Amino acid sequence: MDILPILSTLRRHKVTAALVILEIALTCAIVCNAVFLVGQRLDNISTPSGIVENELLQITANGIGDQPDAHARITADLAGLRQISGVDSVTMANQVPFGSSSWNSSIKLSLDQKRPTVQSVTVYYGEDIPKVFGVEIIAGRAFQTNDYTWFDDAAKSGNATFPKIAIISDALARKLFPDGNAVGKTIVTGTNEVRIVGVVKRLTRPSIMDYSTAGYSMLLPIRMTMSMGASFIIRTQPAERERVLAAAVTKLKAMDNRRVITEKRTFDDVRKAYFASDRAMTGLLIGVCVALMIVTALGIVGLGSFWVAQRRRQIGVRRALGARRKDILRYFQTENFLLATIGIVIGMVMAFGINLLLMAHYELPRLPAIYFPVGAVLLWLLGQVAVLGPALRAASVPPVVATRG
Amino acid sequence: MLKMTHLAKVYRTEVVETYALRDFNINVKEGEFVAVTGPSGSGKTTFLTIAGLLETFTGGEYHLDGVEVSKLDDNARSRIRNEKIGFIFQAFNLIPDLNVFDNVEVPLRYRGMKSAERKQRIMDALERVGLASRAKHYPAELSGGQQQRVAIARALAGSPRLLLADEPTGNLDTQMARSVLELLEEIHREGATIVMVTHDPELAARAQRNVHVIDGQVVDLAEDPRFHANAHLVGANS
Ligand SMILES: Nc1ncnc2c1ncn2[C@@H]1O[C@H](COP(=O)(O)OP(=O)(O)OP(=O)(O)O)[C@@H](O)[C@H]1O
Ligand SMILES: [Mg+2]
Repeated sequence: MDILPILSTLRRHKVTAALVILEIALTCAIVCNAVFLVGQRLDNISTPSGIVENELLQITANGIGDQPDAHARITADLAGLRQISGVDSVTMANQVPFGSSSWNSSIKLSLDQKRPTVQSVTVYYGEDIPKVFGVEIIAGRAFQTNDYTWFDDAAKSGNATFPKIAIISDALARKLFPDGNAVGKTIVTGTNEVRIVGVVKRLTRPSIMDYSTAGYSMLLPIRMTMSMGASFIIRTQPAERERVLAAAVTKLKAMDNRRVITEKRTFDDVRKAYFASDRAMTGLLIGVCVALMIVTALGIVGLGSFWVAQRRRQIGVRRALGARRKDILRYFQTENFLLATIGIVIGMVMAFGINLLLMAHYELPRLPAIYFPVGAVLLWLLGQVAVLGPALRAASVPPVVATRG
Repeated sequence: MLKMTHLAKVYRTEVVETYALRDFNINVKEGEFVAVTGPSGSGKTTFLTIAGLLETFTGGEYHLDGVEVSKLDDNARSRIRNEKIGFIFQAFNLIPDLNVFDNVEVPLRYRGMKSAERKQRIMDALERVGLASRAKHYPAELSGGQQQRVAIARALAGSPRLLLADEPTGNLDTQMARSVLELLEEIHREGATIVMVTHDPELAARAQRNVHVIDGQVVDLAEDPRFHANAHLVGANS
């Protein structure tokens, strides 16, 4: 197509052209980054938990402080819950994937190591967690009944009663022992040495800061008491969840009428609550992008209409000199394509700059190169769609305008 | 070359119907230089826009170069305008955003001509009108006479067989009008057919043949009583 004369015409309308170019560039830069951020959030939202989410229920109840018979009461509560029809298995866990608070420990490979190999690994306590959560053990073994210590015992008597064995997640195993089997190896959690007896396929942590290490987790053979935010976890069939949840709450209250249930929810709710802000942010970013693109499209329509009106006479002259309707249409489309291309090139540079800023201030990763062509195509399309109306109007200017004005 | 028989053109607006041309007959032969004169509003421009395929007509027949043009679609009409017809307008109608060179190039680009040939033709045409040195100038930087010469170069560059000019000297002073007419005469001598609308009797007199239009019809000056009133006016002006 005849690009040179279009370019020299644009050069004579620098200010107007520059405005559209700038608008396109800004939109391109912001949309590239926003789409990237949305992609990231969506990635986060789709993080696997490793557990059978659609079979699990969580009930949190207020204990009445430390009680002398705490162990017996927990054991009785769990036994009571097991009696409910439809309940597959039950435990009391210190935390759940995508929960809001987490228990963490640093991991070293030996006691005399100065700096930890992994700064923060989440630690799950609770009897039979792999079985109740539906987490697959891919190497080694599960904990056995006589492996377990009660939480309050382990906590108060120092290293003596602290568990000597642990199960870790596959992600953590690969991190700690990149070139070998983790089972049988000894690691140091805090100040305690533990031997790895098993590896689970995946068990995601609560309150995730860094999604790349969200799968680093460890399980210790500790029976949880009803303290420090621990909750009952019930596994059942997906279709039974509502009924079992109601029955479990009734049962827990019946067993202790002073008990206050502070939370009862399916794991779907846990996930939903955890990612609520990510979803809101995604919606906001998409909204901003759509709004920006609409404004840019309107800008292009406006300028296009203005230029068509302004050039009505010369369009007639071009028609008189032999331009077909198609040639006029293409003129405006090409002009828009050129403006968009310049805008996109500038927009790419700006997108890169915005990304650098975000990287510096919000620890975001580098904008992957794929977002550049995606942004370019998006804005080219936007420009072409927006200019179509004015361009069609231009193409319908009759040649007689050349003589009649 | 250009033959209209019983041609009619009606402009319909919501309120009125204007017969801009009625039973309009004309036959311009290949190589002729015809001047079209007539009072304001008589239909001269209308005739020229129809002759140049800028507009369709309401009735009658129009054969251009042997082709009945009312059957042609928009693309075919564009092509004929591009290849066979050169236009010269009273208001020059150069494209203000393009320099002289690019202006002359416009019809050649629509013809899909190769760049080297375009350049050759443009420079030749500008040479003809004596403006080769102004190729990089913009229309606003030229005098009216120069702009009209650029417009003529633009019309010439595609070597059209038919040149249509609507009061080409209407916006020029006598001096420049003469030089433009001399240019047209030269082009005519080289074989082009020229139809020129003019109000200027002196210029009209230099054409091979005069066609007088009154009320949308070609009239025979000698026989039409209206001519005498008009001749009187012309006489009073000159
Ligand atoms: N688009 C239009 N709609 C309605 N009437 C029109 C239109 N164009 C021209 N006319 C009418 O047709 C008639 C012929 O107009 P035309 O422009 O052909 O006259 P002309 O001979 O060129 O006049 P002038 O010497 O003033 O240029 C006039 O009455 C004019 O008002
Ligand atoms: Mg006229």
